[in-house]
Amino acid sequence: MKRQKRECPESSNPFDVLSEEIIFMVLDLLEQNPLDKKAFSLVCKSFYATESKHRKTLKPLRQQHLPAVLSRYPNITHLDLTMCSRVSDASLSSISNACRFNLRSIDFSQSRLLSCSGLLGLAQNCKNLVEIDLSNGTELKDSAMAAIAEARNLEKLWLARCKSITDMGIGCVAVGCRKLKLLSLKWCLGVGDLGVGLVAVKCKEIRSLDLSYLPITNKCLPSILKLQYLEDLVLEGCFGIDDDSLGVFKHGCKSLKSLDMSSCQNISQSGLSSLISGTEGLQQLTLAYGSPVTTSLANGLKKLSMLQSIKLDGCMITCDGLKTIADWCISLRELSLSKCSGVTDEGLSSVVMKQRGLTKLDITCCRKITDASIACIANLCNSLTSFRMESCTLISREAFVLIGQRCHLLEELDLTDNEIDDEGLKSISRCSKLATLKLGICLNITDEGLMHIGKGCPKLKELDLYRSSGITDLGILEIARGCSDLEMINIAYCKEITDASFLSLSKCSQLRTFESRGCPLITSFGLTAIAVGCKQLTKLDIKKCHNIDDAGMLQLAHFSQNLRQINLSYTSVTDVGLLSLASISCIQNITILHLKGLTPSGLAAALLSCGGLTKMKLQSTFKWLLPQPLLEHLEARGCAFQWRDKVLQAELDPKCWKLQLEDTVE
Amino acid sequence: MDLNNRLSGNELQKNLSGQPGFGNFNTQHPQKWEDPSIIDYSMRIEPPFRGFNQVKVGQDGLVNELRPTNKIQEWDPSAMLSSFSFLEQKIHQLRDLVHLIVGRRGQVLGRPDELVTQQQQLITADLTSIIVQLISTAGSLLPYVKSTHSAAPPSMGQFGQLGGAVFPSIPGLNGGIQLQNTSGSKVSNQPNQNDVSANCGSEQNHNNEEHDLKEEEDAEEGENLPPGSYEILQPEKEEILAPHTHFCTICGKGFKRDANLRMHMRGHGDEYKTPAALAKPHKESSSEPTLIKRYSCPCTGCKRNKDHKKFQPLKTILCVKNHYKRTHCDKSYTCSRCNTKRFSVVADLKTHEKHCGKDKWLCSCGTTFSRKDKLFGHIALFQGHTPAIASEETKAQVGPFERREGNQVTNKVGSMNFNFSPNASSESGVQNIMNVKGNIDDPTTYFSPLNFDNLGGFNDFPRPPFDDSESSFGFLLPGSCNYNQKSAADDSNNLA
Repeated sequence: MKRQKRECPESSNPFDVLSEEIIFMVLDLLEQNPLDKKAFSLVCKSFYATESKHRKTLKPLRQQHLPAVLSRYPNITHLDLTMCSRVSDASLSSISNACRFNLRSIDFSQSRLLSCSGLLGLAQNCKNLVEIDLSNGTELKDSAMAAIAEARNLEKLWLARCKSITDMGIGCVAVGCRKLKLLSLKWCLGVGDLGVGLVAVKCKEIRSLDLSYLPITNKCLPSILKLQYLEDLVLEGCFGIDDDSLGVFKHGCKSLKSLDMSSCQNISQSGLSSLISGTEGLQQLTLAYGSPVTTSLANGLKKLSMLQSIKLDGCMITCDGLKTIADWCISLRELSLSKCSGVTDEGLSSVVMKQRGLTKLDITCCRKITDASIACIANLCNSLTSFRMESCTLISREAFVLIGQRCHLLEELDLTDNEIDDEGLKSISRCSKLATLKLGICLNITDEGLMHIGKGCPKLKELDLYRSSGITDLGILEIARGCSDLEMINIAYCKEITDASFLSLSKCSQLRTFESRGCPLITSFGLTAIAVGCKQLTKLDIKKCHNIDDAGMLQLAHFSQNLRQINLSYTSVTDVGLLSLASISCIQNITILHLKGLTPSGLAAALLSCGGLTKMKLQSTFKWLLPQPLLEHLEARGCAFQWRDKVLQAELDPKCWKLQLEDTVE
Repeated sequence: MDLNNRLSGNELQKNLSGQPGFGNFNTQHPQKWEDPSIIDYSMRIEPPFRGFNQVKVGQDGLVNELRPTNKIQEWDPSAMLSSFSFLEQKIHQLRDLVHLIVGRRGQVLGRPDELVTQQQQLITADLTSIIVQLISTAGSLLPYVKSTHSAAPPSMGQFGQLGGAVFPSIPGLNGGIQLQNTSGSKVSNQPNQNDVSANCGSEQNHNNEEHDLKEEEDAEEGENLPPGSYEILQPEKEEILAPHTHFCTICGKGFKRDANLRMHMRGHGDEYKTPAALAKPHKESSSEPTLIKRYSCPCTGCKRNKDHKKFQPLKTILCVKNHYKRTHCDKSYTCSRCNTKRFSVVADLKTHEKHCGKDKWLCSCGTTFSRKDKLFGHIALFQGHTPAIASEETKAQVGPFERREGNQVTNKVGSMNFNFSPNASSESGVQNIMNVKGNIDDPTTYFSPLNFDNLGGFNDFPRPPFDDSESSFGFLLPGSCNYNQKSAADDSNNLA
């Protein structure tokens, strides 16, 4: 502050009396909208300097400007490079030179093309690096792992989907990074028993280990279970682990709190019970898509008195099994039975009777459930905060009234594809804490019900009205009025929706995701309103809005500077609109199928000017129309192309569509 | 060098008997402290020598007064007696030495300090040796206190081995002694060459590790016979190393197999051509229950030796042969392909040659493995070793290893004993001498044959898990590990 005074002695800037710490605290409150801080920094020189000193995290859009940006912000501790699909050696070396000892966390999870010499420089220079996310580094080789192993202080390392890494690379990491607390090896198909075993031998401080879909067998389990601090173990889809020899483990891992054994097809109740023997502290157990849940399997849970959450998605469940679970668990908070066949009223009621403290319940696609269960749940589980019951087709419309009457604490409610009507919605509007409401394919609801929701649920952030064809502009108007915090709305295939809805929704300034597929009445005018009003918009889907044309795109390009993902298929946008869209610097993901006004040269120009493009979905005819060198250039820049060969589809009536859906289900 | 160095049991004995005045070495004090290298030699008394030594001493009547009344009990009194005599002798030496120093003090005043330190080192070394001997003598009683019937094996007398006296082993005894054995034999040959060469020492350590594992695998599958339920045979070293075991009584030609001998015998006359003579000789009288035969290694202190506390018998004579060659003999067969790997058993060489060059699993210490799991076992065991990735991008590799090179070399030598280059051998020489210093003084027991890493500068590679006896006596010998490093290294080079 003294320095500032020297610069402008006669300044009457009230900020001069504030200490830097206080300004920092003010800046902390501006975290929500990145543009606010930007605006702050542009006020004057001293604000600019203060903001530079204050910023701790950085998420650059382009790697080209990294050296300049890093010299502006000297105190960066967290660097998020997920927007840069390619991080070159030069950028890496500028990072490692600029953020020597400050950098603690770096995220490369979307950068596929990293060289190991760059990583080595980073690991050697940034000694205080604690977290590295290298997920999706499908090109990373063992040599890159050897480089990472130089980061001796590393505590968290994500290597999901690094398919080219083998035991050797993991071995290097295990030896080099002795302080690892979290390691994710999900989908690292080249890593087997030896690598994982070595990690367990060398990194004694591991707390969280994700071994999903690794080709590991029982051999590495003993050393894993000996890890003293292991709390979270994910063994999802480890087909190599089976019941044989699991009986050897008389003493499981005592510190374990969460175990995920989803899709372990070769594990039955005997193997499971020996694996969880001794893990008295287990709080969370996930056995999705595993062996049938019977009484004997449920009996294995007897000793797990701390168990709070059980996820059995996709399992075959017997009624007795469910009853046994209800008997053994002392205080269950979360139960997920989505897509479980065999869940009946009797079984579900017995659980609900015993476990009244349930806060999260998922009975998605439990198609045998009737009103009886719902009555039971509504009466006994008053503390439910999340209730998902998509496609429970036997439940009548009266049952939903009960839910609204009893479960006032609900924050999340999924009623997709149900018989709920306006009466039900009126009742549910009593849940004033509701933040997420999914009403997709609810053909019985109309504007009237939605009006109640708009009035009663001011905290609503997500609303899904996909194919709920009874909705018109009136309902949306009420929602836009009542729920100003709305962040995501889906009005796809609500054919009655017009620009009026868009106009009213443009008041929801927090809107980030907007889906309005198949709303043929929408024009560029409505889109402009959204673009002007919703500055935060990041995802936009206007597929099959035939009336949207270049005018809308021009406005969108001008106002929606945060747009990342857009679907323009079947609209009337031409080269001009696409080119203007390309000027949005954030844009990463574009889908353009069946765009009549698109020419190869226009597309090529747009592609060239979209510097940050990572994913492009195009009609496959363009593959031959675009020059090959251009495609190669774009791919080298980090853009992935998806070529589609879809025929034009005629649009169906919603009821007809649902009938068709039911036919395919049955 | 190895061939020369590694004497067969036969030669060794000859050497011994050719040096009747072994005891005399110990009394040559003046020479001793003028030529420090001799200290080593006087202390490097290995088991056969011990026996020999003690017999000598006994005959000389030096300790006769200690001998008389002790009747044979469950422990071996003669062994204890010999320890006492050894102790007494040592103390005498030491006293003489100190006398000499005191006597010379006046004259020495003007002399440089190094002489004084040398003297101190000498005394410390001798004291250490005495302490070790005392402890081991006391320790020899332990097994008998615990279990009275695990006494000296019955077959001991029959096999009257080299040393004669067999020392009961004390806990912590381990297979590493033979290193000093051979060095001892060499010492007796050439009194001035004071140490086993560094290289062969390190090889042997490595060797022991490797094959102990191998044999353990063999043994583990095997039975767990209670002691006493089987008869222990202990072939002599000569017998083990003899190329042939079956000899023609007529012409003296030797054969490896009895069947070949029988075939050979046909040439000596028709009487050997009868089916009865050609038939396989029958096992004698299956009617009476014969004790199962198990074999013991003649090397005292070896786990396979019947006196070892955790004795694990060998099943067949072939096992004894292979064990003895692998563990206690020189690796005289070198792989012709890689010129690095050496073996003491031809079959091992052949097995190796089949796979040589296919070793693709590489550790940062330079060791190669033909199997990935072996590499990972190795890395799990040794701290600081990491998988070496043969990468196209050498940059990534060069950086880290260049920086650590200093450590790397010593570590290779110190903990792995893989490096055979002359450069490294000087360092490993230090290592081994140091090692020996810590252990030599008790002829029968070497507390930690593998404690090769008590030098400074090994912090980066903390000791391997199996080395838990932290240089039992290293602390008693401050600085004693340095004073003959040069000569050791030189010798090793000469020998090579």
